[in-house]
Amino acid sequence: MHKHVPPDPNKPTNSPQLNLLWDNISNDLRVSLGDSPFDLWFSDFRLAAASSEGIVMVAPGTMYAIWVEENFKTPLISAFTKHLGSCGPIRFEVNEAASAAFSDDQDSEAGEFEREEPARVVPRILVEKVSEQKLLEKGRAAGLVEIFRFENFVPGENSELAWAAARAVADQPGKTYQPLFFHSSCGLGKTHLLHGIGWESLRQRPKSKIIFVTAEQFANDYIDAIQKNALVPFRKRYREADLLLIDDVQFLGRKEGLQREFFHTFNRLADQRKQIVLASDCPASEINELEERLVSRFQWGLGVEIHRPGLETRAAILRRKRDDWRMAVSDEVIDRIVERVRGNVRALEGALIRVAMVATLSEEPISPEKVAEVIADLYHEVEDSRQVGTEEIKRAVSEHYDIDVNIINGKKRTARIAEARQVAMFLVRSLTDLSLVEVASAFGKDHGTVIYAVKKMKKRCEDSAAFKSSVELIKRRLVRGGSPMESPRAKRNTPASPPRLGYGAKSLELEAE
Amino acid sequence: MKFQIEKDVFQDALNQVQHVVSSRTTLPILSNVLIRADELGLELSTTDLDVTITKRVAAKVASTGATTLPARRLASIVRELPTNEIDFEVNADNAATVKSGPSFFKILGLPASEFPVIGEFGEAREFTIDQKLLRDALRKTSYAISTDETRYVLNGVNCIIGEGMLTLVATDGRRLAMVEQDLEFPAGNETGVIIPTKAVNELQRLLDVSGELKVAISDNQASFELNGSFLITKLIEGNYPNFRQVIPSQANYRVTVEREVLLAAVRRVSLLANEKTNSIKFAFEDNRLAISANSPEIGEAEEVIDVRYSGPRLVVAFNPEFVMAPLRNLDQDEVFIDLIDESSPGVIKIDEPFLYVIMPMRVAG
Repeated sequence: MHKHVPPDPNKPTNSPQLNLLWDNISNDLRVSLGDSPFDLWFSDFRLAAASSEGIVMVAPGTMYAIWVEENFKTPLISAFTKHLGSCGPIRFEVNEAASAAFSDDQDSEAGEFEREEPARVVPRILVEKVSEQKLLEKGRAAGLVEIFRFENFVPGENSELAWAAARAVADQPGKTYQPLFFHSSCGLGKTHLLHGIGWESLRQRPKSKIIFVTAEQFANDYIDAIQKNALVPFRKRYREADLLLIDDVQFLGRKEGLQREFFHTFNRLADQRKQIVLASDCPASEINELEERLVSRFQWGLGVEIHRPGLETRAAILRRKRDDWRMAVSDEVIDRIVERVRGNVRALEGALIRVAMVATLSEEPISPEKVAEVIADLYHEVEDSRQVGTEEIKRAVSEHYDIDVNIINGKKRTARIAEARQVAMFLVRSLTDLSLVEVASAFGKDHGTVIYAVKKMKKRCEDSAAFKSSVELIKRRLVRGGSPMESPRAKRNTPASPPRLGYGAKSLELEAE
Repeated sequence: MKFQIEKDVFQDALNQVQHVVSSRTTLPILSNVLIRADELGLELSTTDLDVTITKRVAAKVASTGATTLPARRLASIVRELPTNEIDFEVNADNAATVKSGPSFFKILGLPASEFPVIGEFGEAREFTIDQKLLRDALRKTSYAISTDETRYVLNGVNCIIGEGMLTLVATDGRRLAMVEQDLEFPAGNETGVIIPTKAVNELQRLLDVSGELKVAISDNQASFELNGSFLITKLIEGNYPNFRQVIPSQANYRVTVEREVLLAAVRRVSLLANEKTNSIKFAFEDNRLAISANSPEIGEAEEVIDVRYSGPRLVVAFNPEFVMAPLRNLDQDEVFIDLIDESSPGVIKIDEPFLYVIMPMRVAG
């Protein structure tokens, strides 16, 4: 176990918290720097300490430390500031032997770090103790990330179906759902499930060949292969996998050559009954300019959407995280957090870490009352970005067209009403994360109607500035919420503001229909 | 001590040794040059305790002896002397009289015994290399040395001998220059040392385009013997970081460009480089490279040059100084710029064993 202990013997720290903080910061850095610089420079960095005195990072080599400090200090500071509220001086420590100790498990160099530190260790549950290290290495080599395992996935009503499908696929790859296709907006657990399937398969069948890549990595490998005239090894690698996990397949959109290559890879694996699992931020049919034959193949198996977690699930997720990371945060505090932060799981984790960090820094447990204050900015961010529900949109549109909201749901098709309905569909599509099918069922239509409406409205917006500005006006009112511009009619039509928390539950309802 | 020497010879010798002398030193003796006269001629030495240079010159010595005199002052006096023949005499109080035609100078010096003795050179490995080779290699790398004193291991050129190669590397964390020259070394001479900036600069001044030099390396010192000069320097202690970690192993695109054309264009465009970010943009597309700069409050500049490039449009921002530095110090007509993408390090190469890694700058918009 101690082989994974970070080389900071003089500073006992709560590593799970730090690991998670680092994961979050990594995500931000990835966004601000781009994937390839991030992977090139930061992938093997660790966080060894973060306190008011400063931040200590452990670099995999002196050169990495120097180059990161010289070239990426500003984005680092802003990422830490975002997550911790402030950022002390950043210091780099180097552990040249760390990477060596990671790769050769019997390496005697690892002895240097055997100055034990029992408190640390992220719970890693593996069945065969003997081969734990080997599996870990294999998993890492396959591109799997350790923290994303089934054991620490918290299923809830929002992800029940996805969770069941993931387990079925891990138990019986290639037999149940081919392919398995997850889609959801970001931060809801697609990637976690993909990695989880990988780890679980590996545990059950240590010999199987598993590959986890993002579609972008796949693309880069492909381009690389073309350039080096080495398509054969590239194809061999992907086409001989037993389990191929591909994240962010929406990246395939608009890339014809890549799609062609992927199509063949897909067919080959499917023919041999090897399992393919895909994740995307939208359903296959909505990926931009994805070839019809790929769309149909993606739809072959099972497509599952992961919804936003409801209140209880959010609380369960955070309690689980708290226990995993051994944070001293009370249930009440967690309840306060989940009441406020309704965004994705990453936002939730960020809020929890913030709260725990503040507690650690101030050296006293945080009171439920103080939570709102501590996470105030996170909470605004999340609130601002997602607010509007289908019913709200319908109401706003009906107000604008001065018709009754029920007419929008009805069957009347006079020009004015049809237009209002189409505008409403268009707005629901652009302002919410609902899938086409969900939008369709919210309006009692089929999804073809929605596609048609969205297309038509887009076209009209392009053609007519006046139309566009009236749509924008509705949009602005919606996003701003109860602005003083609201007409008296709106007040009459608004019984009470819609329960925002019901989001996950509502989606589920729709799913059930 | 008494001798007669030719002005040109004396002046050259003083010029070569006087750079070591620091103008702001706490020890007055360190601003002096040690002059030692023996039967064979003169030996001039200066030191800053880290680097010591000794130069031998021919002179007609009437009586032997040694003294120290203020180096800079002596050099400027000699430069101005009216005739080519200089008569030099130093009395027991270290007061020197300098006569040249109608001119007469008296300069007060310090006793030679106060001059620091260069530390004993321990067991050393010795070898001989081509002067031009070392000169070129230092010229191609030394500009990338870090000036950040908190990273003292980077304040020099890392010099590795081994595996049939002489490798010289310098980096400051934003760019890295490396020369890797095939060289036959007798087995058992593998070594890696970090030569401090000052010694590198002095050495470059001493190196010629022909001939050889003798190098001796001990644990903490290195000496270089060439053209009648002897330079001895402390080495930077510590391990040079594994620089290969930052050298991209492959590239996706190669741009071929004329060195001087690129250098001139970058120099012009950089006049309007954004002062805040100090970066200029390089847009590669279809055999052309558009170099542009934009300073919100000053103005903008653009220059398009012909290059050989057939990849997709790539826009990369670099610090112009970091692009110009290697270009100035190379001789080849053609340089290659290898790129992976817009945000990964770029590599400048030539047809010879040289490479230069440069980090792109992040630019918004």
